[in-house]
Amino acid sequence: MKPSTLRRLIVIALIALWEILPRTGLVPELFLPSLSSTLKAGFTEAGEYGQALLVTLYEVGVSMAFACGGGILLGALVGSLPRPRVLIMPMVSSLYAVPLVILYPVFTVWLGIGSESKIAFASIYGFLPTMLATAAGIQTIDPQLLLAARSMGATLTQRLVRVVLPAAIPTVLSGLRIGGALVIVGVVVSEMLISSAGIGYLISRYRTILDSPHVFAGVLLVLAMAVAFNAAIKWIERKCAIWQTGTRGAQATDDDVATGAMQPAT
Amino acid sequence: MQPLANVTPLRSPPRAGAIQINDVGQVYKARGQDVLALSQVSLDIKPGRFVVLVGPSGCGKSTLLMMLAGLRQPTSGTILINGTPITQPDPDRVGVVFQEASLFPWLTAEDNVEFPLALRGVSKAERRARAEEALKLVGLEGFGKRHPQELSGGMKQRVSIARGLVQDPPVLLMDEPFAALDEQTRMTMGDELLRIWAATGKTVVFVTHSLTEAVYLADEVVVMSARPGRIVDQLQIPLPRPRTYEMLSGDAFSSLRDRIWRHIRKSA
Repeated sequence: MKPSTLRRLIVIALIALWEILPRTGLVPELFLPSLSSTLKAGFTEAGEYGQALLVTLYEVGVSMAFACGGGILLGALVGSLPRPRVLIMPMVSSLYAVPLVILYPVFTVWLGIGSESKIAFASIYGFLPTMLATAAGIQTIDPQLLLAARSMGATLTQRLVRVVLPAAIPTVLSGLRIGGALVIVGVVVSEMLISSAGIGYLISRYRTILDSPHVFAGVLLVLAMAVAFNAAIKWIERKCAIWQTGTRGAQATDDDVATGAMQPAT
Repeated sequence: MQPLANVTPLRSPPRAGAIQINDVGQVYKARGQDVLALSQVSLDIKPGRFVVLVGPSGCGKSTLLMMLAGLRQPTSGTILINGTPITQPDPDRVGVVFQEASLFPWLTAEDNVEFPLALRGVSKAERRARAEEALKLVGLEGFGKRHPQELSGGMKQRVSIARGLVQDPPVLLMDEPFAALDEQTRMTMGDELLRIWAATGKTVVFVTHSLTEAVYLADEVVVMSARPGRIVDQLQIPLPRPRTYEMLSGDAFSSLRDRIWRHIRKSA
């Protein structure tokens, strides 16, 4: 059996179990409401979930722009200039190890419990890995490539646009993948902690009244968001970083050239 | 393919490609101290010659090559190519082939070859035509659409040579281009390089660690010593061309190689 078919079967089996286990009473509905009752709960309150989704998507969108834009910009700067690197990198690296969620209550004091505090928190949360990955991506560019470009007469701008940028894309994208995922986590978690709107808020509110189907409907929405984000990143990766995927066809051997294709061109 | 009218053949005019290195020195700073990397190097290379630089590690042969490429400036002395000083990279006069083919992994083989032309805004059609011609010259016709990671080590170096030749410079500099290849590929590539050289009439300056490769390829072998880098010997290689595998085991070949080896053992 092909791995992809097997993967699909496993997913289908899990979905089936989600429906069967609560229905047969093997798992109480309070712990795990069946898939159908979760979906029903979601659809009957579609308006409420839709509004919450809009709030959450707005917060995720703005935070994503701050985290990724700022992370790439500052990462590129720090990666290419040695002096700021020495100053900033150790700080950023240790900041990355701090559980930033402890700052969230402070943000609510400064910015209120509306969207602003979530955006501030999620932006910082997603910013750090994006910046670190970009800086690493710029630093690890093969200096031979830059030397080769210089030997061909490339100006500084040409080297930046035609060498540094494309060379850094794969590492930057892997940073975006982590940073973006953290932005979603940051928004949802902060909504669950202190807030008055958004999916996280709904999940948290329905939890306090032990309404499991509605809790799980919210969980499903967050899941869908994460899957969509992942698909988007994959799409971008396919678009602009084909060269990173190591699986494209077998490597040619020198015999390829030796047999037939190799005729003196003179 | 029908050759386009605006494509110049990869053959330099007969007088171009002369290199004059006059009393060149190179000093660099390491831990606040001046280190003399090259001292009073003078060398005259006639157009169309195949010159190989050999010497122990740290003799500055790669440094000398970087200066010929305009990627470094000599601290003293002058370097003339085609009779005018070289003060910055000038792809019209000098093409460079590096050790690790240094191809851009995100570009196809032909886009890599076109790269130096794209930098100067040559039109797409002309670029493509010249890249195709250069790839054909190095025996890679039909491989243009592949990415570097789909090519073998030898093929990558062929692409790199094509890239060095695509602007048709009279001088081709090669910094240990075959060092990362296996023995068999290395031999094949040596013969290929000689074929390309004979077809284009370029002046080639070639740096290598392999004495066999040096004698096999060169018209003239320049032996350098370490700290500071100086020229200690210049050998004309009188072996007839085309060079053949059988020459490797001949007496003339071994005595030339031995002479180089004695210099290197002494100065290392």
